[in-house]
Amino acid sequence: MSGYEEAGCEYLLRGRDDAAGAHLEERMSEYAIEVENLKIRFNLASEKVDNLKEYAIKLAKHQLMFQEFLALQDVSFKIKKGESWGLVGANGSGKSTLLKTISGILKPYEGSVKVRGNIAPLIELGAGFDGNLTARENIYLNGLVLGHSRAFMEEHFDEIVEFANLKKFLDSPIKNFSSGMKARLGFAVATMVNPDILIVDEVLEVGDMRFRRRCNERMQQMMAGGTTLLYVSHNIESVKSLCENAVWLDGGKVRMIGSAEEVCDTYKAEQERLMRQKKEERREKLRAARKKYDYLIVGAGLYGAVCACELTKRGKRCLVIDRRSHIGGNVYTENRDGIQVHKYGAHIFHTSNKAVWKYVNKLAEFNNYINSPVAVYRDELYNLPFNMNTFSRMWGLKKPQEVKDKIAEQIAELGITEPANLEEQALSLVGTDVYEKLIKGYTEKQWGRDCKDLPAFIIRRLPLRFTYDNNYFNDRYQGIPIGGYTGIIEKLLDNIDVMLETDFFEYRKENPDMFDKVIYTGMIDEYFDYCYGHLEYRTVRFETERIEEPNFQGNAVVNYTEREIPYTRIIEHKHFEPDEEREHPKDYTYISREYSAEWKPGIEPYYPVNDEKNSALYEKYRELAEKEKNVLFGGRLGQYKYYDMDKVIEAALAAVEEELRFH
Amino acid sequence: MNLLQYRIKTLYKYQDLIKELVGRDLKLKYRRSFLGYVWSILNPLLTMIVLTIVFSELLGKKIENYPVFLLTGRMLYDFLKVSTTNAMKSVTGNAPLLRKVYVPKYIFTLSKVTSSMVDMVFSLAALLIVMVATGARFHWQMLLTPLVVIQIYLFCCGLGFFLAQLNVFFRDIQHIYSVVLTAWLYLTPIMYDVERLPMEWLRIGVKVFNPLYYYVAQFRDLVYYGRFPGPRIFWGGWIMAFLMLFIGTWSFQRTKDKFILYI
Repeated sequence: MSGYEEAGCEYLLRGRDDAAGAHLEERMSEYAIEVENLKIRFNLASEKVDNLKEYAIKLAKHQLMFQEFLALQDVSFKIKKGESWGLVGANGSGKSTLLKTISGILKPYEGSVKVRGNIAPLIELGAGFDGNLTARENIYLNGLVLGHSRAFMEEHFDEIVEFANLKKFLDSPIKNFSSGMKARLGFAVATMVNPDILIVDEVLEVGDMRFRRRCNERMQQMMAGGTTLLYVSHNIESVKSLCENAVWLDGGKVRMIGSAEEVCDTYKAEQERLMRQKKEERREKLRAARKKYDYLIVGAGLYGAVCACELTKRGKRCLVIDRRSHIGGNVYTENRDGIQVHKYGAHIFHTSNKAVWKYVNKLAEFNNYINSPVAVYRDELYNLPFNMNTFSRMWGLKKPQEVKDKIAEQIAELGITEPANLEEQALSLVGTDVYEKLIKGYTEKQWGRDCKDLPAFIIRRLPLRFTYDNNYFNDRYQGIPIGGYTGIIEKLLDNIDVMLETDFFEYRKENPDMFDKVIYTGMIDEYFDYCYGHLEYRTVRFETERIEEPNFQGNAVVNYTEREIPYTRIIEHKHFEPDEEREHPKDYTYISREYSAEWKPGIEPYYPVNDEKNSALYEKYRELAEKEKNVLFGGRLGQYKYYDMDKVIEAALAAVEEELRFH
Repeated sequence: MNLLQYRIKTLYKYQDLIKELVGRDLKLKYRRSFLGYVWSILNPLLTMIVLTIVFSELLGKKIENYPVFLLTGRMLYDFLKVSTTNAMKSVTGNAPLLRKVYVPKYIFTLSKVTSSMVDMVFSLAALLIVMVATGARFHWQMLLTPLVVIQIYLFCCGLGFFLAQLNVFFRDIQHIYSVVLTAWLYLTPIMYDVERLPMEWLRIGVKVFNPLYYYVAQFRDLVYYGRFPGPRIFWGGWIMAFLMLFIGTWSFQRTKDKFILYI
């Protein structure tokens, strides 16, 4: 008999063979899983021979050659009871083979696997479901397949139905179920027992967020109850958060064993290195082939990425370059200890354009984040935007008409007819209290000068809302992509050549023949070497900090409206993804203090200043741009225009459409 | 000895699964059909009527109560055919499951043969109907038929195991076996009386080497003739059954660990 008998029982068998003390001791062993010099061999027939005729012919010709393929070799490790282990490795590295061997589906070719305790294998949820049977019948069937008795299943039936939340569908055939429903049912059945060992193979990547969260809770619960966990996932972060230890498999061999943190980090670094190497090779190849691009896209931000993606889709060859060391431009989000940090300020996607909403949803899953900032003024706290919550806190009034009267009264008292500056303009719109507490200090910090010295036109209107509605935006769709914006950009730039840390002007000088046309999303005045002088920008500076407390301010965005506090607002990034926080609570947080800063050439530009002077200057540059052959200017800096993200996408799509219509 | 003990324990552990799988087969067979389980009775009945019309003149001239004669043979043959054909595909057909969960593989083969047997027991009702309709005599020896059912059940399990494991490695066996089944049908005295086979060597060959003959003959003795089977066919039937069961389980046991690599 080979080293392994039926699942989980090999040990028992031997134990009974010889009930002597030594074996008894072994049964009490602290190890739940022991893998020793495991080798798994597959016979990969050079061609598949599965009928007699071929077999006879090959046999006659002595061609029945089998190629040996070692799926696993020299794999040894021991897992103590109650530990949680992750398995990482590239596709085809043997992770699934190892799990299957441990759960008894595959037998070792050499070496041995010892398992103590019963296993709940979650290798595929709902394996063994029969589509023609009803959910009720399948629950029994599936439970029995997993080795439970009928009585046991009857006892736990209600519990399973409860967890799967499928009471209404108990008697409909399972072939009518969605894959999410099937997964739910499968998970519920598989985890009904408190197994000694739980084996999970990426099954939990299906299903909606809520289900995944519940699965995670269940797993945590089981682990707290002493269950040993063996977990496979491509998601390194989830391995890190669920497991204490990890094994890294590479080509069927153990590459590294150690703490999950260490192994995952090394694995990730290696992966990144390989990816970089691949990219470098590809770039090298391109250089060697002197491949010519149809479009050189300057700037890997949202505008550039959308253009590149759409042009590539229509068969154009694009090269994207960016000065920064990362893609994404200002929408770039950085993963810091599992929190997506909006490195260049809060980005909340909101749009009323259904087509754009659909477009971005194809690129990422969006959560249902709704932006409702609060403002702190001294020891008072108000809801934003200005709405009934704000007013009732301010004046204790409850009815909209009372509030309207109050504001009208304050405005009338001031008697401003011709607002000469921003202060008078604002006062004539919202009255004294709102202006003093919520607008004055904030605006002064933003612009770095007194409201009395600012022109009136900066504020044309101040929307006041006479409902109790804290949703900052009026748009129909709103949310934040789960896992950050960088993923969206990565997806857009998938299979497109990207060169980071590359300056356009230098690149153009060195490779003038590499491209036909340019899409330029950088600063338009810089393109023309500031020949008419500098355009001005309003800019912001962020001070990001890790804080060792789970919840710093209770909201993603808090504005500070006093002039005495140097920053304008604080962003607490984890609150942009409340689902993630519920799923993986963290006892630390990242915040960014946002400061307004005077813009000087060389500093990161953020917002165009659309005053008369700058608009006129831009107009001159725009005329130059129109004369510039084969160069399109786009995006916030290229068009010197404030763009929301949805508008950027709209503009980029329109630009590509326009471009391809004539060419 | 421990191994055997262990095997029995596993079988005991999975007994509910076998029951469920058998139940599923029976349930699904007639789900959404109007007459449902009645078909288990109606089907052999109708086949019998067709065969009687076609063959009673040709083969059954000298056979008294040809419908009962025919049905007693035909029922056992149908059981053998359906159970072994299903059993043959039981491992390959459950490949997606076997690749993902550990389940003793023989469970599926066993449950297929068992569900066919349950189906056959249902169709005994058809036999009773025909006997009543044709005014056949009932003998108390009929009560011993379970002994024959057990023999043929064990035989079919053995054959099923053998075919199931073979089918994993050579799918051709499916086609070959369907030819074998046709030949088997004609080499077993189902539609004709064995004594009327013209060549003596063939007659003896059938009586000695055709396992199905042992069961059909025993069954007919008990039901049709109302007498005890002779010791040769009685003990021969048991020996055949256990021999086949041994060959089946041995071959299955020998190759089962390699299934996963081929399904």
